[in-house]
Order: sequence, then structure tokens, then C-alpha cells
Amino acid sequence: MLKNEVAVATHRLTKRYGSIDALADLDLEIAAGEIFGYLGPNGAGKTTTIRLLLGLARPTEGSATVFGMDCWSDAVEVHRRVSYVPGDVNLWPSLTGFETLSLLGNVQGRVDVDYRDDLIARFGLDVSKKVRAYSKGNRQKVVLIAALMSRPDLLVLDEPTAGLDPLMEQEFRRCVHEAKARGQTIFLSSHILSEVEALCDRVAILRDGRLVEVGTLSEMRHLSSVTVEVTVAGDVPDLSQVEGVTAVQVAGQRIHCQVQGSIDPLLRALSAVPVTSLLSREPSLEELFLALYGEDRGERRAS
Amino acid sequence: MTASAEVSAVPPFQLERSPGSLIFRVSAGKAVRSGLAWGAVYGIMVASAALSYVSIYPHQAQRDQLELLFGSNHAASALFGPGNQLQTVAGFTVYKVSMTLMILGAIWGILLSTRLLRGEEDAGRMELLVAGQTTRPRATAQVLVALGLAVSALWAVTALVTVVTGRSSSVVFRVGPSLFFAVALSASALMFLAVGAVTSQMAATRRQASTYGAIVLGVSYAIRMLADSGAGLDWLRWLSPLGWVEILQPFTDPQPLALLCIAGFTIGLSILAVHLTGLRDLGSSTFRDRSHARAKLGLLRRPLGLSARLLRPSIIGWIVAVVLSALLVGFVAKAAGQVIRGSSVEQILARLGATSSGANSYLGMAFLILAVLVAFVAANQVTAVRGEESGGRLDALIARPVSRVSWLGGRTALGASVVAAAGLLAGLFAWLGVLSQSGGVSLGPLMKAGVNIVPPGLCVLGLGIAVFGLFPRLTTKAVYGYVAWSLLIEIVGGIGAVNHVILDTSVFHHMAPAPAVSPNWTAGMVMAAIGCAGAGAGLFAFRSRDLKSE
Repeated sequence: MLKNEVAVATHRLTKRYGSIDALADLDLEIAAGEIFGYLGPNGAGKTTTIRLLLGLARPTEGSATVFGMDCWSDAVEVHRRVSYVPGDVNLWPSLTGFETLSLLGNVQGRVDVDYRDDLIARFGLDVSKKVRAYSKGNRQKVVLIAALMSRPDLLVLDEPTAGLDPLMEQEFRRCVHEAKARGQTIFLSSHILSEVEALCDRVAILRDGRLVEVGTLSEMRHLSSVTVEVTVAGDVPDLSQVEGVTAVQVAGQRIHCQVQGSIDPLLRALSAVPVTSLLSREPSLEELFLALYGEDRGERRAS
Repeated sequence: MTASAEVSAVPPFQLERSPGSLIFRVSAGKAVRSGLAWGAVYGIMVASAALSYVSIYPHQAQRDQLELLFGSNHAASALFGPGNQLQTVAGFTVYKVSMTLMILGAIWGILLSTRLLRGEEDAGRMELLVAGQTTRPRATAQVLVALGLAVSALWAVTALVTVVTGRSSSVVFRVGPSLFFAVALSASALMFLAVGAVTSQMAATRRQASTYGAIVLGVSYAIRMLADSGAGLDWLRWLSPLGWVEILQPFTDPQPLALLCIAGFTIGLSILAVHLTGLRDLGSSTFRDRSHARAKLGLLRRPLGLSARLLRPSIIGWIVAVVLSALLVGFVAKAAGQVIRGSSVEQILARLGATSSGANSYLGMAFLILAVLVAFVAANQVTAVRGEESGGRLDALIARPVSRVSWLGGRTALGASVVAAAGLLAGLFAWLGVLSQSGGVSLGPLMKAGVNIVPPGLCVLGLGIAVFGLFPRLTTKAVYGYVAWSLLIEIVGGIGAVNHVILDTSVFHHMAPAPAVSPNWTAGMVMAAIGCAGAGAGLFAFRSRDLKSE
């Protein structure tokens, strides 16, 4: 893998099912070695994007490339460098876990056997069991191990920790960090915002099949308010008319409010009173996500 | 806010009609549709047997000869059940269809029952339903009632067609005996629905449950076979569910007492199934499941090897069915050939170019049945291909470096190999059957007859792959529908005049009735070419479309 190589690039990527735009005009670029988070509510187009990247579905318009190869016409070549963890795991019920891993390893064409055995031990998977006897979480472990054991250049993960217990989730995060350390690229679609926040270098947010935000978390802070808590010594000033300040709550000498945009107008308003403490906290990814979709829901209700 | 105000603040919502019977209604819809469809098959077979008897054996002398040859033939009785009053339309119709429909009905019963009980449990849907306002034993009881309705539907359609057929002046079935005949034909389906209900509790998967049901059917058939072998073991009939159906002897010598055994067996097994449901956890089985196994990696190097491994049980099952059918056909060829000598069947075959008569003529007709079986083998291969996609398992392969063309091409080649093997084995085992009775037909013509039934199978396979490529969600209905349509056209075409254009739509219509006549290799090559073209179109379409799950 070359340094500064582009792992995934899409240009006006569109998928329509009848009159429904499952994905519209997606322009995306993911650098090699990056952990890229892909967020959106149900039906936003996340799985559609993944199926287009894997050549399981054909774009209606636009194009997608993985390491410079077209995802549809060069699908087999693309797949040599990609491993995929599906959101909905469907395996062959009559095969054991080990048989499934052997089959998928053989088909992939490369397996780090020591790493596979290490992963089996770390995830505590009983590979002599038949797939039909596995719980949902154990089936998830099989596809995770199958994806990681070939050490692909690009890991495409669709809700990879669904069904895993918290300990296994931690193990999964360690595996992702190891993959990044080896220079692998990870495309992570997830509903678990804390997971995306903890793992991803950049995040993209989809809504109704369209990309609405993409960037690092710090670049996306503008989407939501900063939470500010101020304690004053004298009279509590009236902050309700200050530009950008909302949700003011006063409890004794303590003021709790949200600040959208620049914090300067608030600081100017507070300069007239003695401030004993001032705490500000940037929004979490969950707050960013909720702010974005809360706004969307509000717009929909209004319309 | 008061409690009553809180209650009144809850918005009204629509109540389910009667949530306690939801499982019954869900199951009954599927079961009754299946029962009606099979009732139509039963009816067509009864009508076909009665009308073709009138047409093929118009003279009393021929009918008497039939009775003479088969009425006291213990070998034939062991295979097809005893023949009584074969010189009458009613006696022959009972003899002709009873054993076939008894076995078909039993298989249908096992498959339907295990599908609606263990199959729904395997798929996780039963869990959702049982979490509602019912208990697990009640859920099983509701499915059993739905299955009972399905048998009622089967009986009603069969009875209707039998009564209507019986109104023909050349047939003449009275209404009462016709209704009893329909009861006898539906009885094995009823009993084996109950068998499937019990095995669904015992086994951990639907496949296992069906296998246990098939074992019960096999044992039941073997006991009946011994009873009918003329070795003085007639009493054994009372130990076999299929024997009880034989004892009923509709039309010829009705013995309704045996209905008590049939009812007792069905009710007993139904109660046992409900009881066993209450003794186990949902998703588990009465017999301990082998959830662990030693890895066998031999075939798991390539997707084609995986296909071979997954399909192995069904391929073996179909091949065994073809081989046994061919053996039986060969076994009775000599006797059957004597019966049809000089009949209208031979005259028709002579017009098609037949130069020999007797056993060859019979085999020419019988290989049509084997061709139907081989076509079903092909249809089964196509639906297995679709099953991998609809079940979402194909994603795991195609998302890896596996080309779509190589995967589908491999599956198609595997299916074609199975179809070819089935045809060749049919020829070989028919010859073995003939040889055992010194039937006077040599290996060469029978192997050619075996090869002759391969092209219709290849045609069905190729057309099925074309539908899979172009309209994947229609695959199963289209491929089985086409085979059933072709069979229907052949049956109806055998009874009376059918428009030539319609006859041409049947894949079996283009197959020469070898070994009675020489195989028409040109027609065979055209059918194989249509199959190849269909497969090619399917491959091309599959390469360019989205993968589509259910």
C-alpha cells in the first residue's frame, strides 16, 4: 500500500430503487490508513453504500473506486484487497465455525493462520460448534475473525459489534487499533456513536441518502452548541438576550446555558460581574448526531 | 392527573381480532393453499387413470387379461399394492393411483408439517408468535388444526374431481364410493402430517425432522411390501400405516374399520406432538442435537466444492429416487408389456415409428415418468442456486475474490452433471430391473433411453438459470411451475386432443418415447441447445444485476 494512496473514492455515486433514491450524489474520499466512520439513521443509505463499494449492487449513476479500481467492473480485483463484515450475518448452518473460517480463508486467498488462531482465542469462539448452534454474537465473531484474519488493505465493517458483549466490543476496538497500526484502512458503519467517536479519524453523516456532513469531530463541532456552566459571585446577569445563548437555566449563583457559534458575546455579558468559575464542554458525537437529526425532525414536523 | 385520566389519555389502537388464534390463521393460509394445489394433482391423476384405462383397454378381453396378469402377480403387488377387479375402471383406477398417491401424500405431509412447525422454529418466526398471547403447546395444536384443514382441502378437491369423472358414461363412479375413495387417497397425507409433527419436536432442524419422517415412511412401506408379497404375511398389513390405507379397499371391497386405526394413529401422534412441545425449550429438540462436529475440510477449498458438499444429501436423495423408480420400471416391464400388446398405446407408438412391441412399448411410456423425475432434479438444482442468494449467504462469497460468472457457471455445470448422471443411471437400473425378469430388452437401447431423458432436464436447468439471472425472485415458482405445466400438458394430451401449440410448450412433448422408438437426437440437441442458451442468458444477466435477498 502506497503512502497517501486513496483507499475509497466515490463520485456522484447514486443508487435508485424505482422512484426511491437510496443514495444520491455521494462524493467521498478516504485516505489509506484512515479509520472512517459512517453514520446515519436507519434507511439513510449506509448499507447501500457498502453494497455499492463491494460490487454487490450496481450504481444507477456515478462511480466508486477502491484503491483506484472500479468497484463494479473490477470487483474481483477489489475483493482481493477488501474484507467485509455484514450487518446481517448469514452463514451455512451445517458447517462448523472452523469449517466456515477455512472456507472463507481459502476463498479470500490469504490467511494469517497464527493471527486467526490468536483471534479465535481472544474472542473465545468455540470453532468446533456448528453455525446453526451459535448465538447471534458468536456468528458475529465468526465473520469478524474471517475478515480480520486475512489482514486486508481495506476492512468494510457494517455494524460489526451488533450482538457482542461489552468485553468483546473492547476486544474488537483493540483489533481495529492493531489494524490501523499496520496501515490498514477501516470503513466503519455503526450506530454505536461512542464506538465511532473512540475509533474514527473522520466521520461522515448521511441523511435520506445524501451526505450532510463529513470531517473530523473537531471540524464538526459547529453543528452543535457548547455547554457552558458559570458561577458568579454577585447578581446573576440576564443572559437570555445574549447573541447565540440559549437554554439558560439559573440555580442560585450557578448559570447553565448552551452557546451556538462564538462564545465572545457571552464572555462580554459576563464581564460586568465577578465570575468564580466557568466550565465549557464541547459536544460529543452523540450530541452532534442528535442535534443534526433533531433539527431534521423539527423541520419535518414544521412542514 | 388521576389514574383514570391517564388511561383515557392513551390514544385508541386497533385490537387484533383474536390474538390467541393468530398462529392458526397464519399457518392455515399456507397449508390450505398447498392442500388445494395437491388436491388438483390428485384429481388429475385419478381422472387421467380412469379415462386412459377406458381409452387404452376398450375391450373386455383386454381388461380380463390385465386382471389375469396383475391381479394375482405377487411381485407387482409387493411394489404397487394388491390389484383387485382390474377388469373394471374403478378397480384399475384404485390400483393405478393408490400407491403413487399414498407415497406422494406421505411425502407432502412430512414436508408441510415439518415446514410449518420445525421450519418456522428454525427461522425464528415461531419465537415471535409464541411470545404473543398463547403457549407453545397451544401453538403446536393450532398448527395441527391448520394442517387438518389442508387435508380437508386435499380431500375436497380429490372427491370433487373423482365424482365429476365418475359421471362419464364410460367410467361410472357412484358418489358415495367416490367420496370414500378420496378419503382413502388422503389418509396417508393425514397420518404423515402427524408423523412430521412429532419428528418436528424430536429433531433439531427441519432437515433432520424430514429425514426421521422419511424413515417412518420407509419402514411403513417395507412392512406393507412384505405383507403383499404373497408369503402368507397378510396380517403384517395391520402394523403399517400404509397397510391400513390398503385395507380400506375403496370401490372394490370397502373396509371402513381400518379408518379407526388411521384416526387413532393420527390423533395419538398429534397429542404426542403437543405434549412433547411442552417438554422442551423453544429451539431445542427432544433428541439431543449434535451441535459439535469434527472439521471436514476436503471440499471447502473452492465455492464449487462448498456447493457439492451442501447439495450432497439432496443429490443423493434424488439419484436414489430415480434409480429405484428405474429399477421398478424395468422390473415390471415384461408383464406390463404383455398387457399393452395390441392396445391403442402400441398403435400410437407404431405411428411414431416403433418397430418393436411389448416391454419396449411399456418402457417407452415409463421413461416419460423418469424424464419428469430428472426434470425435477434439474428444478431442484436451480432452486438451490436461488436459495444461496435469497438466504444472504452468497454475499459472503461474492464479497470475496469470486467472480459471479465462475460461481454461477460452476453451479450450472454441477447441476448439468447431476442431470446427466440421473439419466444414465436411470437407463442402467431400468436394464438391471429388466434383466432380473428376463425381460428381453438389452442394455444398449435402455442406455440410449437414459441419455434421451437428459436433454429435457438440461432444458429445464438452462431456462431456470435464465429466470434466476433475469427475475431472481420468480425462480422457484417459474421452474417448478414449468415442469408441472409440461407434465400436465402430457397427461391432458394423453387423454384427449390438445392444441398443437400448447402441446409444443411441454418440454416432454419433444422427447421421443425411447426405447419404444429410436431417440430423436436432433430434438434432444435442440433442447440441450435451448438449455445452454438459457444458461448463457442467465449468466450474462446475473453478471449485471444486484444481488437480491428475499
